[in-house]
Amino acid sequence: MNILILISLKPETNMNDLLIAENISYSIEQVIKDFKLMTSRRLNEFASEKEILKNISFRVGKGEIMGIAGESGAGKTTLAKVVAGILKPSGGSIKFQSSGNWKKQKASPVQILFQNNGEILNPLRKINEVVEEAITARLLQTEGFKDSKRMGSIISEKEEKIFNAVNFPENLRQRKGFELSGGEQQRAALARILAVEPELLILDEPFSSQDAESQLNFLNLFKRINKEFGTAMICISHNLGILRKLCGKILIMYKGEIIESGSASEVLISPNHPYTKYLIKAEEYSLSSEELKQNFLKKQQGS
Amino acid sequence: MLSVSIKRIKLGEINSERLLLENICFDLEPKKIFTILGKNGSGKSTLIKSLTGLLDKKYYSIDGSVIFEEEDILTLPQEILLQLRKNKIKYVFQDAANSFDPLKPLRYYFDIVNQKDELNSLLEYFFLPKQEELYKLYPYEISGGMAQRVSIVLSLLAHPKLLILDEPTSGIDSAIANLMLLKLKDFVSQGNSVLLVTQDIIFAEKISDKISYLSGGKLAPFYNTSEFFKISEYSDINFLKA
Repeated sequence: MNILILISLKPETNMNDLLIAENISYSIEQVIKDFKLMTSRRLNEFASEKEILKNISFRVGKGEIMGIAGESGAGKTTLAKVVAGILKPSGGSIKFQSSGNWKKQKASPVQILFQNNGEILNPLRKINEVVEEAITARLLQTEGFKDSKRMGSIISEKEEKIFNAVNFPENLRQRKGFELSGGEQQRAALARILAVEPELLILDEPFSSQDAESQLNFLNLFKRINKEFGTAMICISHNLGILRKLCGKILIMYKGEIIESGSASEVLISPNHPYTKYLIKAEEYSLSSEELKQNFLKKQQGS
Repeated sequence: MLSVSIKRIKLGEINSERLLLENICFDLEPKKIFTILGKNGSGKSTLIKSLTGLLDKKYYSIDGSVIFEEEDILTLPQEILLQLRKNKIKYVFQDAANSFDPLKPLRYYFDIVNQKDELNSLLEYFFLPKQEELYKLYPYEISGGMAQRVSIVLSLLAHPKLLILDEPTSGIDSAIANLMLLKLKDFVSQGNSVLLVTQDIIFAEKISDKISYLSGGKLAPFYNTSEFFKISEYSDINFLKA
């Protein structure tokens, strides 16, 4: 398998071992050396330390879709931010094996689609302008040419392809962010992200607060983008039903740790860990009050 | 318990009105949970709002009757309707977080509550903070799932005869939904009824005694849950299983 990203937050893990197991060569893109993840509970207080993620180690291959599931507070979003380089972990390393030409200043090969995507779009700018700008930035980065005529045609070609991929109708492209509905905003944000041709796309709860019909539409959309652009994806969701349909591989997180991982069919159909079993039962709404009580009590003790 | 016979609900001015719902007829019996399934925009929320005069008469015209305790709710004056919704027929709306006034701490909503023991046991049941802590919180300080639970606790404390819930599982995680399911079953076992509308077909299957389907402005008859899923006519509801 062609490895795109390799993550280990265990300080003692030898990344070479992980890679040799897969028998490929690699180049080191990023090794993080600082050792504390600081969290400050109040702004005027001294930062206090708290272990948020521990013993995390996984890899995502090129074009692979991996799911991360777990209840709220399990550390899913923190992990996504660490992978995207927004947060720096206190230990361990993240290796990204990129095939393209990425200069860090302008755009990153890892992009996140956040939950409240309406907020990342400038409400007062036209959608097509935002997308064009991102395409231009990416082109200058990769090609570096200044031939404005040729560039113009490449940009409009790419723009067309991206808007079509996210099902964004022609008549909405001239609109401004605030003039769009929630689902349209999410697709516009996705178009903006695809414009920089990411190699890894992180989806943070992309299905929450959507009705069943648009969940299904987005599910198909992500599958299509994965096929058409070969974008690898990490999809964070507590909706196991959707992860089952979207992902090849899945990680189950509990209190900052990966407690189970494997192929989606393996983990979600015959789980080993009691917590995974609990999650699956919860999804079917067949937990007894005793089972619920035990889990809530455990969570309270932990925090 | 509640006998509904609504011929039609229309929206808009007399000459340009739009027919929203038609021939909505059903009876709610005690000790049972009734569920109406339906897609987005099928009129589920309009339907449940129409039952206690929550639709603004300026815009909506309703032709029909809703009989509760031998009276037609739709003909009652506003003050009596208000009392009815305060005591006997309670609603839990979808965006529970937005149904609280953001400038008032949660204590405000519990001031009317007298039964302290019952309150404490409900808070404990729903894994909510203790009364003293909860009272200090403002609605924007609690999560959507918490707001939903607080809203249900408040509704249960009023000891209604009928509880109406709009999309109770949206935006909350499945463990909380599970907890709610058990409580609602307990609530109807005391002789009350529940009417809920949802798109969550798995939740509907688990919780309901009877299910109906709203589509194209028309409501199908209520069937027993096991029978409902055998009817091929409603096979298009399977898309809800997304």
